[in-house]
Amino acid sequence: MANVDRREFLRLVGAGGVGAGAGFMLAESIKHPVEYLIPYPVPPEEFSPGIATWYNSVCGMCPAGCGISVRTREGRAKKIEGNPLHPVNQGKLCALGHAGLQVLYNPDRLTGPMIQNGERGADEFVKTTWEDGLSRTADRLAAARQDGIYFLTQGVRGHLANLFELFMGELSSDRLLHYDFAHPHALYAANKRLFGEHQLPYYDIRNTRYLLSFGADYLTNWLSPVHHSLGFGHSRHGNDGVRGRFVQIEPRMSISGAAADEWIPARPGTEGFLALSVAHRIVADGHYEGDDAGEWRKALSAWSPGRAASLTGVSEATISRLAREFARADPALAIGGGAAANHTNGVDNLVAVSALNYLVGNIGKPGGVVFNPEPVTGASAIDRQANYRTMQKLVEDARDGKIDVLIVNNTNPAFSLPLASGFREAMAAIPTIVSLSSFIDETTLMADVLLPSHTYLEGWADDMPEPGVGFPVGAISQPVVAPLYNSRSTGDIVLDLSGKLGFNEAIPWTSMEDVLKDGWRRIYERGAPEPGDFDSFWRDVLVSGVWGENVRRGDSVTIAPGAIEGMAVSEPRLAGESGDYPFILHPYLSSSMYDGRGANLPWMQELPDPMTSIVYGTWVEMNPVTAKEMGLTDGDLVTVTSGTGSIEAPVVVFPAIMPDVVAMPIGQGHDALGRYARNRGANPIEILAPETDSASGNLATSATRVALAPTGRRATLVKTGGESRQLGRGIVQSTGSRSSRGHSAKLNSIPIVVEVAESAVVESA
Amino acid sequence: MQTEEKQLQFTDIHDDVVRSLVVTGRNYYIALGCAIFVTLACFFFPWFYQLYYGIGAAGVNSPTVWGTYLASFIFWIGLSHSGTLLSCVLHITNSQWRKAMYRSAEAMTLFSLMVAATMVMVHLGRPWFIHWAVPYPNQMELWPNFRSPLLFDVMAITTYLTGSSIFIYMGSIPDFAAVRDRTTGWRHHMYTLLSLGWRGTDTEWHRLGWAYTFLAVLIIPLAVSVHSIVSWDFAMSIVPGLHQTIFAPYFVVGAIYSGTAGIVTVMFVLRKYMNFEQYITKLHFDNLGKLLLVLSLLWSYINILELFTGWYSGTSTEYEQLKYKLFGFYAPLYWEMILFCGVAPLLLISNKFRTSFVPMLALSIAINIGMYTERFLIIATTLSRQYLPESWRVYVPSVVELSIIVGSVAMFVTLFLIFVKIFPSVSIYEVKETMKIPKREGVPEWQTTH
Amino acid sequence: MNIWDRFVSSWREFRKDGYYDEFDYAWTMTIDLDRCTGCGACVTACQAENNIPIVGEEQLGRGREMQWIRIERYWEGEYPNARLKFIPMLCQQCDAAPCETVCPVTATYHNQDGLNAQVYNRCIGTRSCAVYCPYTVRYFNYNDHRWDAPLEQQLNPDVTVREKGVMEKCTFCVQRIRQAKDQAKDDGRRRVRDGEVQPACVQTCPSEALVFGDRKDASNRVSKSMNDARAYRVLGELNTQPSVIYLKKVDADAD
Repeated sequence: MANVDRREFLRLVGAGGVGAGAGFMLAESIKHPVEYLIPYPVPPEEFSPGIATWYNSVCGMCPAGCGISVRTREGRAKKIEGNPLHPVNQGKLCALGHAGLQVLYNPDRLTGPMIQNGERGADEFVKTTWEDGLSRTADRLAAARQDGIYFLTQGVRGHLANLFELFMGELSSDRLLHYDFAHPHALYAANKRLFGEHQLPYYDIRNTRYLLSFGADYLTNWLSPVHHSLGFGHSRHGNDGVRGRFVQIEPRMSISGAAADEWIPARPGTEGFLALSVAHRIVADGHYEGDDAGEWRKALSAWSPGRAASLTGVSEATISRLAREFARADPALAIGGGAAANHTNGVDNLVAVSALNYLVGNIGKPGGVVFNPEPVTGASAIDRQANYRTMQKLVEDARDGKIDVLIVNNTNPAFSLPLASGFREAMAAIPTIVSLSSFIDETTLMADVLLPSHTYLEGWADDMPEPGVGFPVGAISQPVVAPLYNSRSTGDIVLDLSGKLGFNEAIPWTSMEDVLKDGWRRIYERGAPEPGDFDSFWRDVLVSGVWGENVRRGDSVTIAPGAIEGMAVSEPRLAGESGDYPFILHPYLSSSMYDGRGANLPWMQELPDPMTSIVYGTWVEMNPVTAKEMGLTDGDLVTVTSGTGSIEAPVVVFPAIMPDVVAMPIGQGHDALGRYARNRGANPIEILAPETDSASGNLATSATRVALAPTGRRATLVKTGGESRQLGRGIVQSTGSRSSRGHSAKLNSIPIVVEVAESAVVESA
Repeated sequence: MQTEEKQLQFTDIHDDVVRSLVVTGRNYYIALGCAIFVTLACFFFPWFYQLYYGIGAAGVNSPTVWGTYLASFIFWIGLSHSGTLLSCVLHITNSQWRKAMYRSAEAMTLFSLMVAATMVMVHLGRPWFIHWAVPYPNQMELWPNFRSPLLFDVMAITTYLTGSSIFIYMGSIPDFAAVRDRTTGWRHHMYTLLSLGWRGTDTEWHRLGWAYTFLAVLIIPLAVSVHSIVSWDFAMSIVPGLHQTIFAPYFVVGAIYSGTAGIVTVMFVLRKYMNFEQYITKLHFDNLGKLLLVLSLLWSYINILELFTGWYSGTSTEYEQLKYKLFGFYAPLYWEMILFCGVAPLLLISNKFRTSFVPMLALSIAINIGMYTERFLIIATTLSRQYLPESWRVYVPSVVELSIIVGSVAMFVTLFLIFVKIFPSVSIYEVKETMKIPKREGVPEWQTTH
Repeated sequence: MNIWDRFVSSWREFRKDGYYDEFDYAWTMTIDLDRCTGCGACVTACQAENNIPIVGEEQLGRGREMQWIRIERYWEGEYPNARLKFIPMLCQQCDAAPCETVCPVTATYHNQDGLNAQVYNRCIGTRSCAVYCPYTVRYFNYNDHRWDAPLEQQLNPDVTVREKGVMEKCTFCVQRIRQAKDQAKDDGRRRVRDGEVQPACVQTCPSEALVFGDRKDASNRVSKSMNDARAYRVLGELNTQPSVIYLKKVDADAD
């Protein structure tokens, strides 16, 4: 047809070729790259491909010590679930527990020993060998003075705690500190003061019918949240026909506050007054008929509800009603934590709360306060917990040049101590810092030698949960996968060091597994002194993931002498003048970040905050009326300034917070700890004033006054939620308590007819 | 320019049309070049980027999973109703004024449908599997889901596309023949092929007329059904704001409305740049203007209905929808739409306005912008405010999406420009039917008039 | 059978009354809103079990969340009487699912267990199912996702990793259901026992707010739970007949 000459033809071919090439490239770029599967020539024997192997272990994400079952496939950990046999969590697990997989497979993990090559804190670490790292450390340790070595570790229990004790003993240093930001120092001190008890009791939320919580966020991060959640669920609808009632008293609604039937706002630090006035009413109305009723009446005489009402902001009528309900419910339980515990009068507050338990007679009873027997081992760890006062002493010692070597193990005081503590500056004065952490966090960034530990899923340890569940429980944390990198179990590192330092007499073991086997042999001998069958016992403990002993506290616990007369709550102190700093800052532990350790786990960054649905950020919550007065809405960036520092965060209007309180979640604001955590949000701990509770030395986290100033800029709040009002659509429906007891509730759709199998009786829908 | 008084001759029409096909000025090449360039740069290039990156290149999110791509799709389908109305409906009512314009209008239909089809491809998450929506025997032994309104779409639009292409082709055969007889070279060959050996005998004319009317009658129900089916993509959901029985008539009215406005735009361009001033006159604009006015009033009525029923229902879901539409994030767009489609067309009441060319052009473009906004708002405001308030979101189109909208218009222009040089854009034989038979010596008067 | 006979017999099957009501199993979940604490353990468990991608801050800022189960929160009242109520929202596995009718390629259909199944490799990404779902529980893959190595070592080999352009949603951990049914078959044609299969969210819920099972057996825990006086269905007036039943929160201070 058309006359096509040579040139034309070549042009067409060229154009066609280019077109075809472009199309081909496009198709290739859409496709995924080809991956090749190469089978093993000699398959490994530890697993069968396609069949999962489960290992029981202990969760290391928070101090609760839940038992976990880890599903592994082909040697890789795939899913962490709760161990159904473990009495603490009974097969359940919280969100942070699941994220342990992302600790194991985190891209920012330390892969082997390293040495700081540049200036301290410059993050110029270079790889080295274990031999080199251990030798350096051992040399410095050997050269140190008595009490010149500080061992700062995250809270550990069980035989690892014992090992640390032995090690420090051999190093002639008494400075073994377990440092956890969220450790309940005030609760320990309160139990000591009121009951003379060294350990924490078991709070039986499961069987209680009335829980009065003074600031304790028991469902999220108070003591053992999974266990308490189980208890909460059971108390609600696990007891036939009787539904537990939960009352929460705190300045800002926490998750436990949202779950509660009644949320009562009270000024931070005044919860103790409230508790004392409730106690006053209980005694005055004759609900308490113990022998020491007279003493109680005398001690509580000054604490009328009227007085408490003016101090706390809670009305007299409410206080009287609470007293009545609390006394009548059987059993009732009172717990304290949060702003009540972490204040300058924290111990006083918690003593008052614990007194309530005594007055309603729930000590040692189901649904009440059950004291724990001694843990089978590792009890020394309780006394090694470092409070703020201890850490201040560390800082002073560092400044005075008294510290030669600081060993840090998976704890991050450079992040979780206020700037006013001077910890970061003090570290500069310590000649040698060795870190056993698995990640480069703010504290490890300042180290000279890095000897990375295995994560808890790769190494050997054990745990006796504290507080216990009323009887001794122990579990072994075993490796569930082969170690990914050239790290070593923390215990093994300590054993290697002690080997190099020649402590072989006192510390004869060569591996942590041997330490455990030795220790558990002694536990085995407690219960069943039949020689020779230890191996099957060991195997049983590992396979089931838990061990327990049916031993309860036989002795009845009494009030410590002088505790009743000394029943008083001092005025809470707040740092800063109310004129300059009109708001009280209430930092709270985030459910996903905990104390900041969850910030490098992408699952936790993506988990929307339960109350606000915000992800990947920090924010300041303020009361809607206050926000309107200041002309602020969601997303307005403000500076939060205290007497000791200033940070920036966007505002979130929060309906359930007191008008003069602002709250911020803890956990973000890292400048180390990996790609997911760095340079994101702000850390409210930084600007806390160094106020402490003189009775316990605990940092008063809710005792700092702050000022808010709009910056005029806006920040993007990344939220997964949209409009958080139902607008009358009946999405979350409620019913009155009477209807829940068997009256028919309207099903607003065509009912599903239950189809039955064979011979069962047909039930109507 | 010739005045209306001078009588047009048959030869004039032939000359004008053939000249429009054969004589190509520099301006045409520039226009075509620009159109092709914009199509490549603003449509294909961003689309290929989206194929590589994923639908995330658009601004869609959860739950506003539909965005401008579907709004464009519906807009272009709507625009395609222009040809149907002019070609078929007005043919059956025997209106004379449509004769000069209907060919281009039909072409608009065809090309709108083609552009709409490409918008579907752009919209899909995995467009390389689009053939699964077509029922063909396959190894997987799977049919597509015939219950799905989207599949009704596939069927309806395919039918419409097929029908319209046959219709426009068949109606152009005599014109191809006429042009064939007056061109040489490669054009002659092309038109010989296209005219299928048309000789202009009485039998052929008779058959053509019959077939043409038959197809016209067949295509009219399509005009109603196609856009109703497209509206059912929305109306068959249970999402508040989309689940409305008024949608089928609403969309059909909207389609005819935007289609007619599109015709006005195209007619203006054709008239000005192809020298068709004698054929496309004030009369045409006047009639189109009247049509537009009626449709605008209908459209306004339906919108008021929607507002009323939403408010009257008293349910939170409908009420929040309305509130959001009128006063929410997209409120400026909503009021712009009301202005362009509801208020501005009231100017068409004035005779003078209807017969002024440039104001009509401006209004028609405004109406189409308003109609596009309407399609966009249907999607954006309803998906942003569904049943569960916690899933309320805002959707902002991304640069890729906006670029593709521009590119789709450019694609349409490209296709139309190519059309104008291949098909006679004014129907020669139908325009002749509007003219008096030329007076010849010795023929009595009564034999020359119809 | 020739093609015509096959067609006729299939048609007859399809037209039989109760074709859609008779399931092998009828998996149902009840969610007790009075027990739910909003902790989000179910969200993370689901993410771990089903290879749900980490979307990232930028994409979340654009509204492209990927959480097969999400916790919705609704405030009621004002300070000091403000209340916050949580409701986990996941695919309700509706027996009259609006999403199933609209998929043009039948990438989502109702399977023999009463589950709303999503076939990833059939999905062409029209996203109309997400539009039709009144609960907005369907999530689309707007781009290919990556896991920073070695996070991908955690991926569950029993679940596909979805590519871009494909819709996904909660499947009631169908991989677990499938394994349980296979196990039951291996054990000699018995039925799956109550509690033998639990989706990841149900298994981990610390307050035991979620109960899962086969409602065809009236003695199962879930059958009793769904017939509780407090039972209701979210957006029940739409008659989508969801298989997820919620138990009303108890407002202890009201009647």
